[in-house]
Amino acid sequence: MNPTKRLLIVDDDPDFAGAISEILESAGYETDITHNPKEGWAALKTNKYDLLLLDIMMGRGAEGVMMARKIRKDESLREMPVLIITGLREQIAFLFPGQAIHPGFVPVDELVEKPVEPELLLDRVGALIEASEARSPGGDE
Amino acid sequence: MAMALEDGRSRILIIDDEQVVLESCIEILLDQPYDVATASSGARGLEFMEEFRPDLVFVDLKMPGLSGLEVLEAINRDDPTVVTVVITGYATVDSAIEAMKLGAYDFIPKPFTPDQFRVITARSLEKRKLVLETIALRREKEMLRENFAAIVSHELKSPLSAVQQNLFVLAHQLSPVTTEDQRVQLERMKSRIGDLLDLVDRWLRSVSVDLDGIRERFETLPLSVPITKAVESVQPQAVRKDVEIVVQERAGSVYGHEGVLTEALTNIIGNAVKYSYEGGTVTITTKQLDDRVRVDVTDTGVGISEDDRVHIFDDFYRGDVGMSRQSGAGLGLAISRRIIEAHNGSVSVESELGRGTTFTILLPTEAPEPPVSRLPERSEI
Repeated sequence: MNPTKRLLIVDDDPDFAGAISEILESAGYETDITHNPKEGWAALKTNKYDLLLLDIMMGRGAEGVMMARKIRKDESLREMPVLIITGLREQIAFLFPGQAIHPGFVPVDELVEKPVEPELLLDRVGALIEASEARSPGGDE
Repeated sequence: MAMALEDGRSRILIIDDEQVVLESCIEILLDQPYDVATASSGARGLEFMEEFRPDLVFVDLKMPGLSGLEVLEAINRDDPTVVTVVITGYATVDSAIEAMKLGAYDFIPKPFTPDQFRVITARSLEKRKLVLETIALRREKEMLRENFAAIVSHELKSPLSAVQQNLFVLAHQLSPVTTEDQRVQLERMKSRIGDLLDLVDRWLRSVSVDLDGIRERFETLPLSVPITKAVESVQPQAVRKDVEIVVQERAGSVYGHEGVLTEALTNIIGNAVKYSYEGGTVTITTKQLDDRVRVDVTDTGVGISEDDRVHIFDDFYRGDVGMSRQSGAGLGLAISRRIIEAHNGSVSVESELGRGTTFTILLPTEAPEPPVSRLPERSEI
């Protein structure tokens, strides 16, 4: 892995976000944590991240979905890989039944279930970043 | 619904064709903290109901025009929480009883003393208060139930997930230095918390699955699809118990939702494995009938006693079979039944203690002719 990758975690549970960050940092990633979509959005607009880890059920409901949709519409963020982390896989399946795993909130995303095994998390994060770099050689825009 | 109690002053409506009775009632209650209104006929009284929203209505039984009993009936139909007391001229017990049958709370014979009238008024308003409190409590309970999924999800799942996630991290980071014993201990913790998370998930699904919504996504699909998936997900459990799952036929198609049908079948097949003896066999047979498809899930296990059979589809019910304690929340079959019934299907069970059990599921093959009969309400949960 060339220069250090910077990741943003948006999750309203600090204990959960902390654990996720711990896994990623010990694997050599740099992480920022925000606890709501608003702060998360501000962070995305201020810094450049290689990947976003996004919780779905935040605040009064599926605020993560709203954030993902906002990202999808944003010219500069649309291509950023997003790893959706949710404790509600079944709920997702029932919210969007009939769709393979999840509805694809942004063009380049994937979903893991909460809690997530460290190996699986690192595996997904690595693969998403790799795929993103392959799409835009050189990494940076 | 009148909530007059909220502003402290109770509203009392008195319906009587005798002006002198109305006047004396007002007189008696003059120094009391009530708003009192009167009506000189049943029709006028009913007209006034909506505007005045009384807590308590006194009705004279014998009036020209609309009779007292008719007025009672109308009030009770409109708002059964309004407390009614009948005034009976010639104290015939019969008419009073008739009135009570129609929902009157009490009766007062004419002539009455001011004290009698005050006492019965106070008692009736107390009754009204209790009725309103009961309604409020019931409503609260209802809301709690409706929001149960959200509450459970937030209050139970989030902390459990966070604990589990941190445990994962701990196990991961310590892995180079943990002894075999410590590794086993960490595994135990992870597996128990994992069980808890699964339980909460099941729970959530049983209360929150919107089967009405899922219905809109029904389609005709081969029954083999959910059966195969269900068998796949039960297989590890079966292997551990050395139980063989045999699918004899996979014929037929079903009109439904693949995801929830898989869930329903997983629960039933999983149940068959759970209550099988080691080395037993679970057989799944499907048969295409005219417009239905039939699935039999047969095990050669401990069987279900007649007493238990009545309850196995109830929430949280777990059979007390003489076998080793079985894990599970006792929700699986209840969810399965709900899913199958949402498909306009049925599930039944036959069993012999010590010999085994057969669950029989019948599901429609085709979309029903519209309109579809209503689903069981969620309040059945």
